[in-house]
Amino acid sequence: MKDTIDAILKKHIPKEKGNLIPVLQSVQKKEGYISPESVKRISNYFRISRSSIYGIATFYSQFRFNPPGRHSIKICLGTACHVQGGDFILKALQAEIGISPGETTDDMRFDLDRVACLGCCALAPVVMIDNKIHSRMSVIKLKELLNKYE
Amino acid sequence: MNNYKLIKLGKFDESVMNNKTTQNISVKIDGKTVNAPVGTTVLQATQKAGIYIPTLCYLENIKPYGGCRLCIVEIKNMRGYPTACTTPIAQDMEISTKTPELQKLRRDILELVLSEHPYTCLVCRDKNNCNEFMTTTRKVSVTTGCNFCTNNGNCELQELVEYLELTEIKYPWAYKEIKPEKNNPFYDIDYNLCILCGRCVRVCNEVRYSEVLNFVQRGNLVIVGTAFGESQKDAGCEFCGACIDVCPTGSLSEKMGKWVGIPDKSTETTCVFCSVACKMNINTKDNRIVNVGPNPDNRTNPLQLCVRGKFVPGDIMHHPERITTPMLKKENKWIEVSWDEAINFTVNKLEQYRGNQFGIIGSAHESLENNYVLQKFSRKLMKSNNVDILSSFPDKNIIKKIHDYYTHHKPANIDDITNADTIFVIGSQTNLSHPIIENRIRKAAKNGKKVIVANTHDTRTSYFAEQNILYKQGEEHIFLLSLLSVLNNKISGKLSNDLKQEFKNFDIEKAFKRCGVSRQDIEKIAKSLLNSKKSVIIAGDGILINPDSIYNFNALVNIQTILKKPETCKIIFLLNEGNFYGSTIAGLHSDFLPGFDELANKKNIKKWSDNWKTKLNNTKGLSGNEMVNNITEDGITALFVVGDIPAHPNLAKLKFLVQQNMFLTELSEHAHVFFPITGFTETNGHIINLERKLKEITPVTASAKDIKTVWETISNLARVMQEKGFDYKKPEDIFSEINSFIDLSFATEEKAKKEILPIRADVSDKKKKLPVEIIAENNYFNYLGNDLLKLIPDMEDILGEGGSGSSSGSGSGSGSSSGII
Repeated sequence: MKDTIDAILKKHIPKEKGNLIPVLQSVQKKEGYISPESVKRISNYFRISRSSIYGIATFYSQFRFNPPGRHSIKICLGTACHVQGGDFILKALQAEIGISPGETTDDMRFDLDRVACLGCCALAPVVMIDNKIHSRMSVIKLKELLNKYE
Repeated sequence: MNNYKLIKLGKFDESVMNNKTTQNISVKIDGKTVNAPVGTTVLQATQKAGIYIPTLCYLENIKPYGGCRLCIVEIKNMRGYPTACTTPIAQDMEISTKTPELQKLRRDILELVLSEHPYTCLVCRDKNNCNEFMTTTRKVSVTTGCNFCTNNGNCELQELVEYLELTEIKYPWAYKEIKPEKNNPFYDIDYNLCILCGRCVRVCNEVRYSEVLNFVQRGNLVIVGTAFGESQKDAGCEFCGACIDVCPTGSLSEKMGKWVGIPDKSTETTCVFCSVACKMNINTKDNRIVNVGPNPDNRTNPLQLCVRGKFVPGDIMHHPERITTPMLKKENKWIEVSWDEAINFTVNKLEQYRGNQFGIIGSAHESLENNYVLQKFSRKLMKSNNVDILSSFPDKNIIKKIHDYYTHHKPANIDDITNADTIFVIGSQTNLSHPIIENRIRKAAKNGKKVIVANTHDTRTSYFAEQNILYKQGEEHIFLLSLLSVLNNKISGKLSNDLKQEFKNFDIEKAFKRCGVSRQDIEKIAKSLLNSKKSVIIAGDGILINPDSIYNFNALVNIQTILKKPETCKIIFLLNEGNFYGSTIAGLHSDFLPGFDELANKKNIKKWSDNWKTKLNNTKGLSGNEMVNNITEDGITALFVVGDIPAHPNLAKLKFLVQQNMFLTELSEHAHVFFPITGFTETNGHIINLERKLKEITPVTASAKDIKTVWETISNLARVMQEKGFDYKKPEDIFSEINSFIDLSFATEEKAKKEILPIRADVSDKKKKLPVEIIAENNYFNYLGNDLLKLIPDMEDILGEGGSGSSSGSGSGSGSSSGII
């Protein structure tokens, strides 16, 4: 991990602090998430404090701070899905797998995210698991669905 | 629309804030003509005119932020409502600060700000009776006040609500449901009270450069936080307390004095924990310290303090274990007695131990006056020159060297650090030992100055350094010699030739190898030092607490001497305890009478015999080390210790040991008499800091009846022993006596001598073994020899590992007092 981050950092000059976000994006691409260790390395390289980097990264929803699970669940909370009870499904799912959006289960089985729209409002409410869209979700259907993913 | 040529905010610089620019322009504020320099903000101009504009996020001396929008004003010919704090003035601006429309907008803004803050107390109709009932146990919380925040009156929202006459808030209060954090021993954090003004974030990043706090998340989820929600300690908090001082709400609050109420007195005094000797403002209520730090009249411009100054005084002065009555040891038990009894007992004993068998070891945290009286007692009454001080320096002569240096070179000022182009820090844990010096170094680094840090290991300062040198432990002198040699080769002249002679047999390649620093690195330092217009060298423990300390000192001074313009280079010697220099000049040194008069010189003995109207013993005095090693039947038999000295098997053999301290320590096991002592917030006096400035200590609280100062104790002893010359009524008497003998204004300054001090240019392979206590890093957290990490609950958890230096095995006292054993 050390090497991958160093390889990414080497492409940028320490003085060009504006490259922080591209660096964070590359790190996330390589490692799947932004770890405390990588923030430390980036902080030392650019001389930007760790809390600043964390502050900047948390501003953007594209960055996650937990390692991705084997399967990623994205719950749509766009207008149509919200109206159709997406919120309710999210709450039920949180209770089922015991994590909040942005987190990963302890057994690394699932990670959970909320998204604003997946572009298939006619099928609302939708849940996306590993790039596959599951339409007209209900709590019971979702529970059954989860069993298919190990 | 806009007729004014505005200065971009990016250009906002400190010189404007310090009013250094001279070109004035005039503006009209509420019909009043005000002249202010170019670049002043509207807010500063209005403040100058004595007109009040409400603010929440504004902090004096920090770049304006424009976050709270409460300082909005109307400016003729300018669109909208610009914020006064971010708008620079322009010629003939017409500003109105208090139109009804503005006040209405401000009220709306404040209402919105308060919609995320528990506002019930602000608009409560019983708010005037609140103080009376606030501290009742609250089973009836609704009517007798709410306990969301501290009741020490530190709430700027209260003032604003009053000013804007807000009686009702139309929004429901949105509680953020953030768990309050109580993860450190000094302050509580409750972000439910936070209004996100960003003062703490800015003070942490822009003033203290600790860089711990930042805004995290986005939108309505934003809170102030640390990276990954770590605890303050893990995030690298240095517990300087600046964020608490600037917080306008109760979001950040000191644990000490949280529920004490509004302080009734505020006193300015001087901190003695380190030799920077910061001014501090201590708030008290009913003779107890409530909190330390902010100036009550100007809360937003906190005096800068560090963890010791900010949090320690209250904790140790009112410590439950503090000894408050004199005690005698009878059958191995401490029995509390009256002062008369203790004094009479001590006098009877002391009478038997006059002469060379008696010794005094004082503390470098005590004032000039106390230490002067202490050594006078030993020399004049006990006829013994065995006086010394518990300090961190193994070589007592270093202080004399520093004194000599000061007589030829004007001591550096702390602000010289920020004014210098190159700052060379050697062997120092400045962030722990002298946080305010560290702050200046960081400030310089952030302003683009060149900071070079050399040490045996990475320190927090390294993070700010442009060049970071790691040399091998124990090879400090070789490192300095290499630098001196490289530097000298780039310079010509007589001094340089003299120095080249010294380096005749110096194998530089071997030296590089031995200290572990490459030629390029040293060449780079030399180049920086030569090319800078102003430079500051900061020498820390690694250089001064070292078997080679005298040679290190000489090498450093030589570096300064051979530079092209030595007067533009300054050296700061980081003395640890607050009054080390002052105590030595007061005469608490085995080789020197007061004023650095050498004891070996008969003239000086005559001089001080005349001064004190007595006949002084002319036997050479023993240093603390020698005294302890020399405890035998015909050596030292009685000791008077102020503070503490590290444990030593010899101490059990003492026939008589008097200790004066705030707490019982390991040494107390062997003591026969114990006198309680006042702390520095309970007494008058003076200390001399590392800038060689005389600083005044003023009493903040009155000490308990039976706690006495050192000079009071000594005067009492001398009175019973019927010795004249100790009948002082108040510390001022002692000070005027010292002043009549020694020039403490240090007005006379001798011209700098241009000479090369002796060095030991020798790279032989034998490696000196360092005594263990010298390798063990200094414990900066001690006062009068008492280990603060042990006295203050949880302080060790927070600061223990990094706090007392990297080698944590030093144990109590062994680090803090390596000078003695």
